[in-house]
Amino acid sequence: MSWIPFKIGQPKKQIVPKTVERDFEREYGKLQQLEEQTKKLQKDMKKSTDADLAMSKSAVKISSDLLSNPLCEQDAAFLEMVTAFDTAMRRMDSFNQEKVNQIQKTVIEPLKKFSSVFPSLNVAVKRREQTLQDYRRLQAKVEKYEEKERTGPVLAKLHQAREELRPVRDDFEAKNKQLLEEMPKFYSSRIDYFKPSFESLVRAQVGYYTELHKIFGELAARVAEPRPGDEQRERQHDARLAELRALSIVADD
Amino acid sequence: MASPGTSEPECSLYEELPDERMEHNRRLAVEELLATEASYVHNLQLCMWDIRAHLQQKQLPDLDLEGLFSNTDDILHVSRRFLEGLKATADQESEQLLFICALFQEFKEEMQTVYKIYCASYEHALMLVPNAGATDLSFFLVMPVQRVTKYPLLLQKILENTPASASAYPALRSALSAMAEVNANINEYKRRKDVATKYNKAEHLTLRDRLARLNTHSIAKKTTRLSRLFMHETGIAAKTEDKEYDDLEEKFQCVASSITALKENMGSYVKHLEALMLSTPHKHELQMDEGVAQQYRRFAECLHRFGAVVPQRQRLDRLVCQPLSSLSDMLVGPQQLVKKRLDKLLDYEEIQERKSELGNVTYDEEAAMNTYLAINALLVAELPRFNQVAVQLLGQILGSFAVLQRDLAARVLQEGLSSQMPHSHMPLPSFWKLMEDTVQQSGAQLHTFCQKFETVTPSPVSQPLNPAEERKVLSLVSRHGPDKLYQVTSNISGSRDLDLTLQRGQIVALLQSMDTKGNTSRWLVDAGGPRGFVPAAKLQPYCPVQTQQPRVQVPAPECGTERRRHSYAPPEAPRPQVSTFAPAFQVVAGFSFAARSPQEVSVQAGQPVLVLEPHDKKGSKEWSLVDVNGQKGYVPSSYLVTVPVEKPLGWSLPV
Repeated sequence: MSWIPFKIGQPKKQIVPKTVERDFEREYGKLQQLEEQTKKLQKDMKKSTDADLAMSKSAVKISSDLLSNPLCEQDAAFLEMVTAFDTAMRRMDSFNQEKVNQIQKTVIEPLKKFSSVFPSLNVAVKRREQTLQDYRRLQAKVEKYEEKERTGPVLAKLHQAREELRPVRDDFEAKNKQLLEEMPKFYSSRIDYFKPSFESLVRAQVGYYTELHKIFGELAARVAEPRPGDEQRERQHDARLAELRALSIVADD
Repeated sequence: MASPGTSEPECSLYEELPDERMEHNRRLAVEELLATEASYVHNLQLCMWDIRAHLQQKQLPDLDLEGLFSNTDDILHVSRRFLEGLKATADQESEQLLFICALFQEFKEEMQTVYKIYCASYEHALMLVPNAGATDLSFFLVMPVQRVTKYPLLLQKILENTPASASAYPALRSALSAMAEVNANINEYKRRKDVATKYNKAEHLTLRDRLARLNTHSIAKKTTRLSRLFMHETGIAAKTEDKEYDDLEEKFQCVASSITALKENMGSYVKHLEALMLSTPHKHELQMDEGVAQQYRRFAECLHRFGAVVPQRQRLDRLVCQPLSSLSDMLVGPQQLVKKRLDKLLDYEEIQERKSELGNVTYDEEAAMNTYLAINALLVAELPRFNQVAVQLLGQILGSFAVLQRDLAARVLQEGLSSQMPHSHMPLPSFWKLMEDTVQQSGAQLHTFCQKFETVTPSPVSQPLNPAEERKVLSLVSRHGPDKLYQVTSNISGSRDLDLTLQRGQIVALLQSMDTKGNTSRWLVDAGGPRGFVPAAKLQPYCPVQTQQPRVQVPAPECGTERRRHSYAPPEAPRPQVSTFAPAFQVVAGFSFAARSPQEVSVQAGQPVLVLEPHDKKGSKEWSLVDVNGQKGYVPSSYLVTVPVEKPLGWSLPV
């Protein structure tokens, strides 16, 4: 409350009990944090899905560039392998696209919808604040008149001030109560709300990787030797490289 | 025994001397062969065991022992065995020559292989001698070079002293030609290696270096080449067609371009992979610790671990990226040689022409021609192997890539299937249906929250208008019409030239809903005297009060209560009942409006209307297209109010 500039119209007594104010701030604080995190999560999810799509596209480029190389026309075995590769990559890409679409529907959109509640909440809190200010001002006015001498005009003004005060106070009380009820409900709704999103995220990935495993399992069986471990593969590569290096036309460095 | 025929002319090397003399010489020659071989082997041993060991012990920093001695120990091995074989033939009296020839034939392949390597790197070794600081070193190093050239000479000597009729004569001759061939091959190998090493490195010259290289000679050379090329292109001079080479080169270029393309694309793939691994949405907590969220987080972290740093990335590097990069580096040598070959070919053709004209060429020109021939031969010999092995390696690399992907998928699945999410055993289509339905329901629930928050309404400023303000409002109304009134919702402090500073609660009339620059969030208003710009966000439509003053304050809280009552109803009821909100309202015209143009329509206050479009053709929300008693036209949106059908009030939520 310290950010309210100290105006003359400050009531003498504390019109809102400290506990109520504290509760309100605590609940609102939690929601503010939630808002920030939701925003960050949204951004990150977007970045993540964009990167995912880009990676898949670049994988397709690998195989399609090789396929368009004239080497394929000259070497039949090479052509066969590259075609198999290309098919695999394209299928992987389409599954990836599907996965991203599913994530879009079940995670990113719900996130957006969830975020869209926050502006209304913030406006509502602001309005409550405004009402509180009015309430305080009028309360101060009433107190001012209460302290004056009880003359006729003063009494009339006092009565009028009290009349003005009443609806504003009711309004504030109502707003306060409403918000204090709704905010915790909204806050705790997030758990159930996001449950399907998390489930979908895992399921989508699992589905995608199942397909990936199938596709590349088949491909690997066709184009690579099945069993050997990494060292053996590395040695095979090194053997080829050594053969090449033995040629005089290859420069030694 | 003196030979009487010493005055005979020595035109033929194979002059027949008397038998005894020949046999004597022959035996001497054979003995020389054995003796020199023995001493050769002895020296080699000395070189290796003493000198080399000594140098190794000295541990000089810049000493390249490999470069100095290259494959001397291989030579030593071969020579020792050869010597053993030679010694064994000594027992064979009459057949000795035959056995010696057979021995040469047996060893010629090995000798060629071993000596060619040594001879090709001999010059390089010589350059390293000063560093070693051993004085006799060059004496020892030259021995293998001398020895291999001596074999034909020794054989020659034996042959000279063998009668043509001897049984060993043909064998000797073939042994001699075999060793001569060995030497020729060694020379050819050396020449090709020299040419290759000279031209297969890419030269990274700066512009200045290139300019420094220009001299009359180089310019002349380049001009000649260029003109030759031009003649080729225009058909003036015939191009030397070499189909075999051209095919090879074409294939090589294809191989080179696929390697380059693969390297580039793989690079960008890896970059994207890393970008993907950088974004970590699962790290954001949303303050949820238990249940589904926790499992998801664990799963996502596993995904990251597998896809990112340690295993997968490293494997990708070792099995795909590095071999690819090495392969790409190896392209440089052949590419340079291909380029150089073309240059030298042009030279060659030049010189060829001149040769056919003049009949003779200089030593340098001869050398240039030989260079071309050497490069050409080298490329034709080695390109096929290069192409073949390169394609093999490409295939292997692609295979490794496929295997890596498969393994990654396998590990992810292992983790994912064990994460025990609810509904994890549902078949996919029904799972997605369930998800989508849940999401929709949740969306509807959110909508409720939204509405609840929105219904925390702005309290119209309950401060009664003082008389001055009242008069101002009346004058504004008379000047601009009741539809243009707005109330300030929070204090405005003008910052720019024509901005107004207003207090909250003041009434202004709208003159224009955009400023001079077309910005629709700044409105030109009349504040009952001063005119200026205010931010549109701080204004809300104001309906001039048509009832007495005290009534101003009452309708607001009452409406608020009513609205609150409405908004409290749904939470008690289950979600599907949200949709019953909308039909309960009716749009009526709050004020009379007289149409001022053919697109507008007149309405009376209180007339129910049907809103067709809540905005005009340009999308501005100020006008709504409505249907009034069958007539269609535009009315100001602020004139329309929405009233609940059950309890129609004079005015409630302004639209």
